[in-house]
Amino acid sequence: MRIIACYKYVLDEQDLKINPENKTLATDRAAWKISDYDRNAIEEAVRIKEQLGATVVALTAGPAQAKASLKDALARGSDEGIFIQEDALRGADPAVTARILARAIEKIGDCDLVFCGEGASDDYAQQVGPRLAVLLGWPVVTYVNRTQLEGSLLKAERKLDNGMELVEIELPTVVTVTGDINVPRIPSLKQIMSAGKKPMQTWTLADLGITPDQIVSNLRNESVKGAVVERKRQIFKGDPVETVSQVVAALIKEGTI
Amino acid sequence: MGFLLKEEHELMRKTVREFAEKEIAPRAKEVDETHEFPWDNIKRCAEMNLMGITTPEEYGGAGSDMLSRAIAMEEISRASATVGIIIGAHGLVCDCFEYAGTEEQKQKYLVPLAKGEKLGAFGLTEPNAGSDAGNQQTTAVRDGDYWVINGTKCFITNCGPAEIYVVIAKTPEEPDVKGPSAFIVEKGTPGFSIGKLEEKMGLHGSATGELIFNDCRVPAANLLGKLGRGLALALQALDRGRICVASMANGIAQASLEAAVEFAKQRKTFGKPIAAHQAISFYLAEMATKLEAARCLTYRAASLNDAGLPFGKEAAMAKYYCAEVAVWCADKCIQIHGGYGYTKNFPAERYLREAKLCEIGEGTSEIQKLVISRFVVG
Repeated sequence: MRIIACYKYVLDEQDLKINPENKTLATDRAAWKISDYDRNAIEEAVRIKEQLGATVVALTAGPAQAKASLKDALARGSDEGIFIQEDALRGADPAVTARILARAIEKIGDCDLVFCGEGASDDYAQQVGPRLAVLLGWPVVTYVNRTQLEGSLLKAERKLDNGMELVEIELPTVVTVTGDINVPRIPSLKQIMSAGKKPMQTWTLADLGITPDQIVSNLRNESVKGAVVERKRQIFKGDPVETVSQVVAALIKEGTI
Repeated sequence: MGFLLKEEHELMRKTVREFAEKEIAPRAKEVDETHEFPWDNIKRCAEMNLMGITTPEEYGGAGSDMLSRAIAMEEISRASATVGIIIGAHGLVCDCFEYAGTEEQKQKYLVPLAKGEKLGAFGLTEPNAGSDAGNQQTTAVRDGDYWVINGTKCFITNCGPAEIYVVIAKTPEEPDVKGPSAFIVEKGTPGFSIGKLEEKMGLHGSATGELIFNDCRVPAANLLGKLGRGLALALQALDRGRICVASMANGIAQASLEAAVEFAKQRKTFGKPIAAHQAISFYLAEMATKLEAARCLTYRAASLNDAGLPFGKEAAMAKYYCAEVAVWCADKCIQIHGGYGYTKNFPAERYLREAKLCEIGEGTSEIQKLVISRFVVG
């Protein structure tokens, strides 16, 4: 069985700074990381591999610096890493990303199961998984927080707003996972060191038969700015009993409670 | 090393940092308060291959380089300097076996040490042989197929929890042998006992104390390295040890800087965060600059070792400079915290108590300067 774990290499949001003058984001000193839920996607693929035996391929597409993510993904237990290098993917339209990943998955071939994170840590568009499924002609199961594979039958628990939904689905399928599905392992030093010895490939769009006109984004990024939430700075003073009533009245007026 | 870390080293730092933040840091305050040896942390460090970072893979280690070890020591110590010093002292023992162990000794002792199944302790210091390490009073006398060891070691890190001890002792009855030798002593050997444990200023979770040898008989096969070469072996191991203490200091300095920045951004005086006052922001700038210089020195010493070049001078420089920077940064961290920094509600005071050890352990700052001056003066 071959399982593909798709991931996005994103800026670590902890390192983002807001320029005080114009509220734009300063990203030049931010580190990169594998997006949070995508780590869960890799971990789930690796867990299934460890239980049932499989080959896990870590797959990502992005600008040149994303290549550095391959060793991280491999240290986390993936067997092979494939990176599709395309600078135009910086801030790409999820539809474009899905198109590239779908073509890559077809090229890899002989795949039964694709894991994606529910959404990326940067834009959280939640688009790539479902779009990928459509392009592959496969079903998709989203918001998954537990999986159990029995032969070619996948039992998945979906975490929805109003409860849990249990679904059973025949492979092949695309699964998008939440952060609750597992605790991604922290690789050991040996796993990090052995990652560099695992097979890694870099593909271009040409390798996938994709022409530049097929990656034209329909999305236009107008601007990204830090949001500043102004505090109301209301101070309630006086007798505690009266003050509490005033606070409650104010909160009701605001529609908070 | 150029001036940029390689991808593997960056990934290693990121990973060890994540591990240390999630699993080591949350226990640091409690370990400091209870003086409890953090076995849980050490067990996890073993699983992360952090107990034998530079030990070759065939002997149970990770087979990584000294730069990785420096980075890992720094990140662990940023979370808990107690765990840092436990790993650091253990590493000295691994290095002794790697440098001088026979194949049999490596299989028997180095493999479980590097895998973290057993903890090691390094017995060099004596009441009258600290900075004057050559003045060993502990003796080993040959009796048939055994060495009989008598004497007392003090200030030994991992004293008690360790199962494998490398002990330096002189052999006065051996003809033509001038220097002390190194011996392997296992916990539980008759005649070997743990004496008084020190009540230390900081690094409370690490056990530090006396090793007492009273007609302790160890097999002749427990001689580590050549007869008379024990002090040389110890000093060779201490060259790497100094890089580890420098890294530990860098971790404490980094923690101090981060705590100071966080506090300075939140604490307001005269209507603005104290970080906006130049007196405070300049302290932060100085801390960050000194730390960056300290780190460069440490990584350079480690990289020289990795390149197979002499690194003793640079290791001594790193140990001396980084320790002083860590104490300075921890002191300023308290100063920035003001009265809060003097309380146990904030980690600043712990950082200063921990940093101070770096100026003393594994060769005082003064001994480092002596070593450096010999290189400089010639």
